[in-house]
Amino acid sequence: MEFGWNEELEAFREEVRAFLQEFDTPALRTELANRGEAAQLGPEQTRLREALEDRGWVRMCWPEELGGEGKSQWFQFVMTEEFAKREVPYGSGFGTMVGPAIHRFGTEAQREKYLPGIWANDITLCLGYSEPNAGTDLAALETLAVKDGDDWLINGQKLWTSAADTASHVWLACRTDPDAPKHRGISTFIVPMDTPGISVRPIMTMSGGRTNEVFFEDVRVPSDALIGEVNQGWYIIANALDHERVWIGAGGGLRHIFDRLMAHIREKRPELLEDDVVRRRLVELELDLDVMEGLVLTNASIVASGDTPTMEASMSKIWTSELRYHISNVAMDLLGHEGALTEEADGFAPLGGELERTYRASPIQRFGGGANEVQRDIIARRGLGLPRH
Amino acid sequence: MDTTLSETQRLLRESLRDYLGNEVPFDRIRELEREGGADQALWEYLAGAGFLALPFAEAHGGEGGELTDTAVVLEELTRRACVIPFLETTASALAIERHGEEALADEVVRGVISGAITIAPALQSATPANGASPRVVDGALSGERRFVDYGAEVTHHLVEATEDGEPALYLVDAAGEGVATESLSTIARTPLAHCSYDGAPARRAGGAEALQFLGGAGRALCAVQCLGNAQQALDMTVEYVGMRVQFGRPIGSFQAVQHHCANMATQTLSARFLTYRAVWCVDQGIATDREIAKAKALASRAGTEVTMQAHILFGGIGYTEEYDLHFFSRHGKERALAWGSTEECLRVAAETLDEVQPWQ
Repeated sequence: MEFGWNEELEAFREEVRAFLQEFDTPALRTELANRGEAAQLGPEQTRLREALEDRGWVRMCWPEELGGEGKSQWFQFVMTEEFAKREVPYGSGFGTMVGPAIHRFGTEAQREKYLPGIWANDITLCLGYSEPNAGTDLAALETLAVKDGDDWLINGQKLWTSAADTASHVWLACRTDPDAPKHRGISTFIVPMDTPGISVRPIMTMSGGRTNEVFFEDVRVPSDALIGEVNQGWYIIANALDHERVWIGAGGGLRHIFDRLMAHIREKRPELLEDDVVRRRLVELELDLDVMEGLVLTNASIVASGDTPTMEASMSKIWTSELRYHISNVAMDLLGHEGALTEEADGFAPLGGELERTYRASPIQRFGGGANEVQRDIIARRGLGLPRH
Repeated sequence: MDTTLSETQRLLRESLRDYLGNEVPFDRIRELEREGGADQALWEYLAGAGFLALPFAEAHGGEGGELTDTAVVLEELTRRACVIPFLETTASALAIERHGEEALADEVVRGVISGAITIAPALQSATPANGASPRVVDGALSGERRFVDYGAEVTHHLVEATEDGEPALYLVDAAGEGVATESLSTIARTPLAHCSYDGAPARRAGGAEALQFLGGAGRALCAVQCLGNAQQALDMTVEYVGMRVQFGRPIGSFQAVQHHCANMATQTLSARFLTYRAVWCVDQGIATDREIAKAKALASRAGTEVTMQAHILFGGIGYTEEYDLHFFSRHGKERALAWGSTEECLRVAAETLDEVQPWQ
């Protein structure tokens, strides 16, 4: 056990901080503030991204067989943490999840065709998983891919396809054998979103964000759109979902909310700090954040030691997603009626409306990325070894 | 950064677990509860096998190990409900070794390692509201302390007392003149004493730094005990619900039961990180009162809530004296209160809220 950072990682942390000092410019901030939901990076973000590539920091911790340098995962952790502290995004969304899957399960030709584009963010992805009748029970999906000569013909409907309106490609799970047991008849495809027969309908959510329905009508794709073996899809998806879970589990943003809440109270509502009950509730939130940090570091330790976290990743996902609700809920409660103000209430809203925004957006963290009930099943069955019925 | 056990820690844990499993049956704990006193045979084994030497400097005959090694041992002892002054003696001797009088350190540490010296801290936090805080005049200590763990079982007390208004630590021979102990019965049924001192010969063992260290180390290690009780109750519960059959299937296959277990496991793992980090920081000399208090608050809750939830899942069998679960719920609650309860620790953190630094 060791709860400090060694000299090599401390030195790397300083390097990353210096890097951010240079690239986290007002121009970048303006670009980020105005980018909306665009999938493509703006010029400033591209500049930062290319500088990261130049330093070899993007895939330094990946295994060598996946095109990385095989460095300790702690380097990735330290870099992610420093970016999160300054709230500078990096990475290419779902690409960090799909890229490894293509690398692992695709052919040499497919790797050459897709990976450089994914790393450069020229190929951006949305996930074609959920359907009207396949949510938590994802393996019940019905979108059908049928072999037609050398091609595949795809028909069906996807739901909750976030970024379908901006992504260049969809990472698509289809049924390829309707007669097989449901987990054994699924295959994964990568399909350009401008393929004829694909249409996208927006669905607006209470968070203010947009998600989509995507319809597939006689969508014809060549045989090399299939990644991995036919009917191997469930295994590939399960592999990629593990990456998504860790990704959703990262909760650095919550620390910023706590810090900004403290700053708001100190500057605008100092009378609250005279109340012992308020101080106690703030300490409880801080403790919840400490637990989050502990779970994240516990997971990172397991990964760095070469193992794969199972129940620990689920614990982190549950805790972080529930805390997102809890911290915004308690913060709004402590502030009283002003806690309800949105960013449109110019100049009046505490934290620029971040509290009510976080509160509104919090449900998806709990039911998305594997509902928390399913995560508790995973802890009990895969982690503790309790029997299925 | 590495939250996993080192190879040394794994070996320590396994060898001690083997020994305790074979040599310290729970009926031995029941016997000690009935007759009072600490487990002398176990203490002699720990001394002989070198477990008592782990955290002390090689110059004093110790192993020069990490305090987290000792914490792993303490957790294992807790998981067997062992009745020995291991935390008390270790924290006291370390306070003297690291921050106390050098002349005394060598003698005390060697005595502890050999098994001959055991020490109970008697600190300010353990003073009855209407009691007299101990004072030292001309090397003689007078006053009283309540809530002294193993006060009637150890060879020495390490008493916080003032001399000319300055608080410091004093070593007192528990069997010597001027020391009287009265046993207090607790929910844990482990030894606790109310101690009265009347001109007891006292040697100065350390000043403000030693006091500070002892308070922090004791609290952090007590968090380890809370954690050990939670972990043991969790593991027993998982095993039990996996085999207890009702409605034709193991109750552990019911989702409601599984989710309780998942929550217990999450709460226990959550407390684990902060607890061991606090111990590590104490060892490195970089622990703050605030961080230790937060860790203890969390561990106290786990030691209480996880052990009580275990009873709910066990049902009748876990409620009986003949089953072993009550050791951990009773010890878990008592340890949750010792060295600062959840409420006391949260108060420390709330009073020092201004120390919170932004994440940057």
